[in-house]
Amino acid sequence: MDLINLELFKIDSLSTFVGVFVGLFTLLTVIYSFGFMDKKKGLFSYYFYIILTLVASLGVVFSNDLVLFMVFWGFLGILLYLLIGVGEKPNTSKTSKKALIIVGGADALMLLGLALIWHLTGTFKMDGMRIPLNSAEAIWAYLLLAIGAFAKAGVMPFHSWVPDTAEDALTPVTAYLPASLDKLLGIYFLVRLTLNMFVMNLDMNTFLMAVGSFTIIAAVMMALIQNDFKRLLGYLAVSSAGYMVLGLGTGNFIGIAGGLFYMLNGAICMSCLFMTCGSVEKNVRTMDLDKLGGFAKIMPITFITFVIASLAISGVPPFNGFASKWMIYQGIINVGKNGGSLWMLWLVATMFGSALTLASFMKLIHAVFLGQPSPENPARKDLAGGRIPKSPLISPKSSHGDRAEHREVNPVMWVPTVILAVLCVVFGVFAYQVPLKMFILPSLKMAVNFSGTWNATLATLLMLVSIAIGIIIYFLGTITKTRETESFVGGEVLKEHPDMRVSGVELYNTVQDIKSLKTIYNMAKNKAFDLYEVVSKIVFGINKILRYMHNGILPTYLAWCLLGMGILFYVLILR
Amino acid sequence: MIYLLDPLIYLLIYGFLLTAIMGLIASWIDRKVTARVQYRVGPPLLQPLIDIIKLLGKETLIPEGASKITFLMAPIIGFSGVVLVSTILWINNIDPTKSFMGDLIVVLYLLVVPSISIIMGGFASRNPLASLGASREMKLIMGYELPFILAVLVPVIHTHSIRLGNIVSYQATNGIFIGSLSGFLAWIVVILCVQAKLALVPFDMPEAETEIVGGPLIEYSGSGLAVYRLMKNMMLFTLPFFVMILFMGGWKFEGIYSLTGLLKYIGVVAIITVIRNTNPRVRIDQAVKFFWGPMTIIAIIAVILAFLGK
Repeated sequence: MDLINLELFKIDSLSTFVGVFVGLFTLLTVIYSFGFMDKKKGLFSYYFYIILTLVASLGVVFSNDLVLFMVFWGFLGILLYLLIGVGEKPNTSKTSKKALIIVGGADALMLLGLALIWHLTGTFKMDGMRIPLNSAEAIWAYLLLAIGAFAKAGVMPFHSWVPDTAEDALTPVTAYLPASLDKLLGIYFLVRLTLNMFVMNLDMNTFLMAVGSFTIIAAVMMALIQNDFKRLLGYLAVSSAGYMVLGLGTGNFIGIAGGLFYMLNGAICMSCLFMTCGSVEKNVRTMDLDKLGGFAKIMPITFITFVIASLAISGVPPFNGFASKWMIYQGIINVGKNGGSLWMLWLVATMFGSALTLASFMKLIHAVFLGQPSPENPARKDLAGGRIPKSPLISPKSSHGDRAEHREVNPVMWVPTVILAVLCVVFGVFAYQVPLKMFILPSLKMAVNFSGTWNATLATLLMLVSIAIGIIIYFLGTITKTRETESFVGGEVLKEHPDMRVSGVELYNTVQDIKSLKTIYNMAKNKAFDLYEVVSKIVFGINKILRYMHNGILPTYLAWCLLGMGILFYVLILR
Repeated sequence: MIYLLDPLIYLLIYGFLLTAIMGLIASWIDRKVTARVQYRVGPPLLQPLIDIIKLLGKETLIPEGASKITFLMAPIIGFSGVVLVSTILWINNIDPTKSFMGDLIVVLYLLVVPSISIIMGGFASRNPLASLGASREMKLIMGYELPFILAVLVPVIHTHSIRLGNIVSYQATNGIFIGSLSGFLAWIVVILCVQAKLALVPFDMPEAETEIVGGPLIEYSGSGLAVYRLMKNMMLFTLPFFVMILFMGGWKFEGIYSLTGLLKYIGVVAIITVIRNTNPRVRIDQAVKFFWGPMTIIAIIAVILAFLGK
């Protein structure tokens, strides 16, 4: 074997497509970080890690040799650990350790899978192998490798590092890794596994769809009850990974194309959402939903980008999230055409999941941007006095600490979010002309038959026309002469009763208190569904037993020795 | 240009004008029947239209500290959602073969837009009562969406198609779905979900005049309220029309069929009105339990029956 014939790297449409967006997300994150990371220590290492992450990700995307791929992949796990560690929250080091153990543990399982692949095919070239899933070895190889992809993309049950990271890491890091890059790379590898390296069968497809549906529903139900802005978004990022896996699991072209499209859209939306979240954080330095409120008025650009991205990922037409979900649904219905009735379950899970996603975003929009500001929120002064800053685009003076002036963040921070929001609109309205034609369909090399109809461009145009009709109706009325008044709350003066505020935190308590859900939520609160916690409990449990044996008393050790000798004696001589 | 002109005409004539007229009439029927049930005379035919025109002439007030653009744009976004849905429904009903622009899933998603607009408008008015009402609306969506999706998929199981045109033409040859057992059960579920979508008694807790004074609409006045009223009236046509297309064979416009279509439509509106006049308002937790409990079970039974071909 000489080095030239090794074919370590390969460039095809799929890897180019993912590579381009890896580059785009890196660029936007770096721009955003210029605004976000002022006067913080360790700036050099932060940017250094980001560039290393870019290099390693490109290595993952373009390598064709599985060993080389694993090297880059493992390197990404360490970089994730380092980048989370840049944060300054009290729990940061704990979280980075957790992320490293989950992602690194999955990498170890992938190595086992690699060994099985070598045993099966005798090659490590990704493009050369088409392994049928007909032996136990092949199935194990697929599952072990898929676990690596699941852990990276944050699919349940390997998700628990994503919400923790969202809460404790710096916001640009979350926007960069778990929200966008890890989704792209994890799903990219799953696509490679599913389309190139293995020949899927019906059972494995069903398994993928089950994992996807479960992730969608369970993660979004968890998101509904979170009271931390970033943690809530973290759960929604997990939920969006479910759609991608489910799309791939449909096994037909339109579903796979939909899953791939959703991978792109989910990454764009989640990254945009985390960035807007960081902009709010920059202003108030708290992410407790109870203490926020009323930011739509002082941060209009951030508010609009947040609304667009959240509607997009909840699947409201005509944005991009809808176009891809709509393709996934058709994929699921096509599964149903071959008989069976499980497809109903997947379809309902996905459609109901997007209603729940919308609900969690409404909670955020109310608690953070609309709604009344909390009494502790320093932004209240600006709002209550009606004093709106004259030039909203000047960067806040951070030397004031918590008493900083509250206004729109500087352009370095909002420009990346606006770019991502524009992508949400363009990829939705011109779904066929831009993303599908340029990226998705070429990378799958297959023709897609749409069984439904969704003319996004025409529908958007008609929507604009009807908005125009609405505006005309407005101008028939008295819209030109508006007047501001105090809001009416049963005759009480709202300003004098800050306790009458609805913060948004308790928005879904009625749902949470439904009996059966309450038990599950309580179990979740005790981390009964967190694989990391469960495994660590088991490991420490075994440790306890071992510790009991190692009590340091000589007679016990002697007894063990004698017992061992006795067994050896029996095995070797008496038998 | 011709490619664009056709849908535009559909939008203006059917999606907007006809839907608005039918919706105003439906609203009048609703009010008249309610009045008769309560031994009142009831309003004249033009009253719903006069109400809207009157509202347009009133002063538009904006609550202090509210996000102005969100507050004023929310009604228009909701209105445009209804217009788009009814345009899609009309196109598919009039010419099932044409079927451009959107299918069942698109309609399902667009039907959420008016609710979102009400929620956003309520949140934007920065009034505790509006927030409460809007949060109830969102919880109601979470409640009814599950059985609604299940029930709406019954025709999809029968036809194996998500194109509305196919669903209409399938019923023209194979008989309407409401005639089958699965279709009938699904239809019951859908009617009750429509009741919640329209926020009518017993599911009017988002607006609950007597406790939270109109909820999300509390701060709206003048033009904003006029557009919301128009939107709600148009929903009163669009949703029954959607139910007709899915389960009752649509509305054919030839000879006697146009009359039976009208009867079907009036029948659905009458059922909604009767339910609204004979029930008390339930609490939001009761409503969510009702939809996630009995309604979902009935919908699942309908789905299983549909798989069995009944």
